[in-house]
Amino acid sequence: MNLDAISLGKDILVALNGSLIEKWPDVKEYGETEAKKLAQTLVMIGTLKATGKINKEQAELHLEMQKNATRMVLMTIEGLGVLAAEGAINSALNAVKDTVNKEIGFALL
Amino acid sequence: MMKMDRRVLRFTVFLISICFVATLAVSGCAVKLVSGYDEVTNRAITDLQQKTEAHLATLESVEGLPECVYENHKQFYDQSRMDINAIAVRAAAIPKNSIITKEITLLSGNLDDLEKLHKIACLSKDQITLVRSHFDTSYTAILKQLELAKRGGA
Repeated sequence: MNLDAISLGKDILVALNGSLIEKWPDVKEYGETEAKKLAQTLVMIGTLKATGKINKEQAELHLEMQKNATRMVLMTIEGLGVLAAEGAINSALNAVKDTVNKEIGFALL
Repeated sequence: MMKMDRRVLRFTVFLISICFVATLAVSGCAVKLVSGYDEVTNRAITDLQQKTEAHLATLESVEGLPECVYENHKQFYDQSRMDINAIAVRAAAIPKNSIITKEITLLSGNLDDLEKLHKIACLSKDQITLVRSHFDTSYTAILKQLELAKRGGA
């Protein structure tokens, strides 16, 4: 499996920047931290799935937990409404969707 | 005479305004746009965070052993469900508390997802690392939100 956390993190960061453009100067620091965490989680889920340590259902549950955690961070720190937080997460995951799904072997994102 | 009356009226309005502002300042009145800080919710969330961490530490210690099975740890999930429901009810009763209320719903979802993962199989150390990261992020977000409410002058 060739998922690279640094590369995914950069793509996620660009997407977050794009969807939170008005608030970006205030949220940059948190955006970078969350992009890195999200990328690391995706790589770890991918690795565990590729090595047969977890199945599809377990991978999806781990992803959902990470998404919930990111939603909470965006709502708290950025003062975003539910819809804005959802939009930011969806943009971030869409940016790496093809790469991650191809490497993992099923439509996780 | 008329000019004089206007000046008296203006001065009276000015004096009333000064008194109003002074009263607000002395009484600490302020326009509240966010919910007030709730110490009980803060303590309950901190308590649940500690229980969650203790549960994850227990799961790490029994990894690979027969004791790791879901049935042996069901009490944590039952208790945490009761705890989160009590926190959610309290949070919903506080005005202008929609962010905390929504975050508690998401935290509840994460506890449900952890239970589902445990029902599927015992969690490996790698999975526990992932889960711990999710919960650390979640609890920190909620506690920060409560801290913001505190600074907001509740």
